Amino acid sequence: MIPTIESGIPGFDELTVSEITEGGIPEKSITLIYGPPKTGKSIFCNQFTYHGLLNLDPCLYVTTDYGIKQLQSNMMDFQWFIQNYIQNQTLYIIDGISRLSGAKLEDTNNVKQSSVGNTSDMMVKIGIGTRLVYKKSNHFRSVLDSLNTLLAFNPDQMVIRLLKAYLRRIREAGGSGIIAYTEGNANQETENILKSLFDNIIRLDGKNIHFEFLSEADDKIYNFKSTYTITNKGLVMKKK
Amino acid sequence: MIPCIESGTPGFEELTKSDDGTGGIPENSSTLIYGPAKTGKSIFSNQFAYKGLLNDEPCLYITTDQGIKQLESMMFDLGRPIEKFIENKTLYVIDTTSNLSEGKPQQTKNIISSHIDNPTDIMVKVGVGVHYVNTNNTRFRSVIDSATTLLTYNENMLIIRVLKAYLMRINEAGGTPIIIYTEDSADKIVETMLKSMVDNIVRLDGKELTIEAMKGIGKRSSPYQITDQGIVI
Amino acid sequence: MKKTHIPKLDDFLGGGIPEGSSILFCAVPGVECEAFGYQILNGIIEDGNKGFIFTNVAEPDNILYEFNQYGWNLEKYLDEEKAFFVDGSSYSIGLPPMGKYSIDEISQIEGVITKAINDVPNGVGVINNLSTLIDYLEEDKIIEILNKWNKHAKEKNTILVYIFTKWDYDPKLIKDIKNSVDCVVSLTSIEERVIIGQGFMVTSASWTKPSKNMVLFFVLQPGGVKIYIPKILVTGPYNAGKSSFVKSISQKSVSVERMALEKFPTTIAMDIGHVDHNGFVADIFGTPGQERFDLMLDVLAKESVGAFIIVDSSAPQTFARAKDMINKTQAEAIPKIIVANKQDLPGALPPEQIRETMKLNKNIPIIPTVIKENKGVEEALNTLLKLLYGD
Repeated sequence: MIPTIESGIPGFDELTVSEITEGGIPEKSITLIYGPPKTGKSIFCNQFTYHGLLNLDPCLYVTTDYGIKQLQSNMMDFQWFIQNYIQNQTLYIIDGISRLSGAKLEDTNNVKQSSVGNTSDMMVKIGIGTRLVYKKSNHFRSVLDSLNTLLAFNPDQMVIRLLKAYLRRIREAGGSGIIAYTEGNANQETENILKSLFDNIIRLDGKNIHFEFLSEADDKIYNFKSTYTITNKGLVMKKK
Repeated sequence: MIPCIESGTPGFEELTKSDDGTGGIPENSSTLIYGPAKTGKSIFSNQFAYKGLLNDEPCLYITTDQGIKQLESMMFDLGRPIEKFIENKTLYVIDTTSNLSEGKPQQTKNIISSHIDNPTDIMVKVGVGVHYVNTNNTRFRSVIDSATTLLTYNENMLIIRVLKAYLMRINEAGGTPIIIYTEDSADKIVETMLKSMVDNIVRLDGKELTIEAMKGIGKRSSPYQITDQGIVI
Repeated sequence: MKKTHIPKLDDFLGGGIPEGSSILFCAVPGVECEAFGYQILNGIIEDGNKGFIFTNVAEPDNILYEFNQYGWNLEKYLDEEKAFFVDGSSYSIGLPPMGKYSIDEISQIEGVITKAINDVPNGVGVINNLSTLIDYLEEDKIIEILNKWNKHAKEKNTILVYIFTKWDYDPKLIKDIKNSVDCVVSLTSIEERVIIGQGFMVTSASWTKPSKNMVLFFVLQPGGVKIYIPKILVTGPYNAGKSSFVKSISQKSVSVERMALEKFPTTIAMDIGHVDHNGFVADIFGTPGQERFDLMLDVLAKESVGAFIIVDSSAPQTFARAKDMINKTQAEAIPKIIVANKQDLPGALPPEQIRETMKLNKNIPIIPTVIKENKGVEEALNTLLKLLYGD
C-alpha cells in the first residue's frame, strides 16, 4: 500500500481509493494540477494547503500569480484564515510578484519577497524555506501557484530549470508538492516536458476532474475521473 | 459575502446575483471583456466607467483606438456625457492614439497623451494616474480599451508583462480594472495568458453575453442587445 | 592586485585579484551568490576606484535597497559618480530604465558593457547575472562575448565579476564558460535532506595556485558575506573516549571546567578543540556523558553541523545510552558517524555487530578505532568530512 495524505477536497480521497492506495494524494510525491483558465486550480491548491495546516502539516507556498495580500484575500473568500499560521510560522510564503505592484514589503522569518524575473533568488528563498518547514515537520506540503507568471517573465527553458531544481529540493526533503499551471500558456513541447517531470497529474476543466498517477510499485497508471463544482467552501467532488 | 460594484449595464446585476453577492462586478477584482470584433465590448466598458463616475468613483481610462474627442462624442451619443467628469477631474484619460490630424493633442492635468508603441511611457503615466485617482478615493475603476491594439504595436510578451504589472498596481491601489480584448487577435498562448491573469472573464459574441468565470459564481449567460442607450441584457 | 573584501577569499587567491582579471562566482541553485558581487564592488569602490553593476534580474531600485540592507551606501557612490548602473532589466517589464546605460534590446548588450568597461579603468564591473543571458544568446555567442569583454577589461585593467547560477546546462557550455575566465569560485551547498550550510572554494585561478579549501559562509543583513566556523559535536556515553578523541583530532584543545554558560549553573567539564585538517576548519565540542547534561547536548546539537558519537565497543550495556544520544542529534538532521572505540579490548564488538545490536540505519557510518593509539582517528575525521562536503 502506498501511503497517502488527505487532499482536503471533499470526495476526492473517497474517489481515489484503489488496490494500492487508501485514497488521497500519494505521500511525498509531486502533483501537477492543470487545465484551462479559471477552473479552480488555485482554489484546489489553497484548499490543499489549508487542510494540511489544520492537520499540523506545515506548508511552503510559492505564489507567483497573486501577491501575499491577494492570497490572503483569496483564502478568506472561502473562510480559510491563514494569519495564525503565518504567525506561528507553519506557513512559509515566497511572494514572487508583489514587487511588480510597487509595494515595498518587508521580509519576515517566514514571508519572503522575491521576483519572478530572478529565478536564482527564488531558488535561494526556496532553499531556505524548505529547510525551515522541514525542521517543523518532515510531513510538509508545498504549493507553487503557478507556472503562468513564471512563463511570462522567463524563457521556457529557464522555467523548466527552476522547476526541476524546486522539485529536486522538495523530493530530497520528503515533502508532498502541488504545482499549478494553466493549459495553453506554453507550446506543446514545453507542456510535454512539464508533464513528464511529475509523479501525478490532476486535470480540472471546469466540470470534470481527472486524476492520474503512475505507481512505481507495480508500474501501472491509475486513473480516476469524476465531476466537481466550486462552492463557497471550495471544490467539492460530486458523488458518481 | 463578496462585495460588488455596479456594472452600469442594465440586467447584469440580475444575471450575476447569488447567495453570496448582490450581483455586479466583484470589487477590486480584474475582468477581461472579450469576444469577436464589434460586439459592444467598448460600450460595456464605457457604461462601467460612467456608472462609477456617477457614483463618485474616479476612473483611469486608457484608450488606444479612440482619441479623447472621439471618446467624448461616443459617450455623448450613448446618453452618457462625460464632459463634467473631465472638468471635475474624476475621469483621468491616457490617450495613446496619435492624432496627427489634430496637431499636438490637448493635454490637461487629467487628459494625458502617450504613444501606443511606447509601453514604458504608458506605464509611467499609469503610475501617475493611479496616484491621482487614488488620492481622494480608494475606490476607483480602470479601463484599458484595448489590449489588442497594444499587442499589435508591441512585442507580445512585453505587453503581457506590462499588463500584469498594471493589474498588480491597480489591485494594490484598491481599484477595479477592466481589460478589453478582441478574440483571436493574438496568438493562442498570449490569449490564454490574458485569460489566466484576470479574475473574471466575460464574453460578448453579438447575441449572448457569457460570464465564463467570475468570483463567487459559476458560468452564466444571457442574450443582450445593443440599443441606442447602450447595452441591455 | 585588488582586494575582494570577502573574508578568506583574498588569502585563497594569493592576496587578491590582479587588475584586469575576470572572476566567475559559480553557484549551485539555492546558494546565495549576489552578495559576493556586491561586496566586491563595494570594497573596490571604497578603496578609491569606480565600478558598475549590470543587472538583468533585478531593477536598480531593488539593488539599491539590497545594498542598504547590507549596510553599504550605493546611493552615495551613484551621486558621486563612483558607481553607475547598466540597466538590462527594466526594458523587459516596461519600466523606465535607471542608470547611465541601459539596453532595450538584447543585441545591444555587447556594445553597452564594453562602453561601461571603458568608463571604469582600474575599477570593477559586476555582471548579475550571466545565467539569464544564456537563454537569449546562442551558446557560442555567449563564449564569444565573454572573451571579448574579458579581453577588453584586461586592456583597461578592469576587474569583471560574473555571477552565474549553475542550472542544469550542457556540461560543455559550463566548462567553456569556466575556461573563459581567469578565476572560478564555486559556491555549493551542504545538505542533509535540506540545505544546512553554504560553502565557497576557489576551483581555479590563472595567477596563483589557489588554496583548495572550502569555507562555510552565510550572508548577513547587515554585514554581507561572513565566514562561518562550524561546530562539531563529540558525544557518547561516559568513559567511551570522548576527551581523548577531541585531543587527538585537534591541533589545540583545552578541557574547560566550570564554563560560564548562563543556561547551566552547575560545574561541568567540557573539552573544546580546534581542528584544521586539510583546510577544513571547525570548533570541536566534547560533551560530558552523564544524562544530566543532556540539555546541553540538545542546545549544542542545534548549533552543530556534524557529530561524532563515541562508544566503547567492549561495553554493550552503554549502547542504549548511545542510541539515546544519537536520537538527540538526529532530531537536528545533522550528519553523524559512530566511532567504535576501544577495539583493542577483549570483548570489543566489531562495527557490524554494533550496528545490529544498536539497530542503526545503514547510512550511519561506523568507524573502528583505538583512540589512545591514534588508530582510526583520521579515518573517522575524513569520513565525517566526506558526509559533510561530499567530495
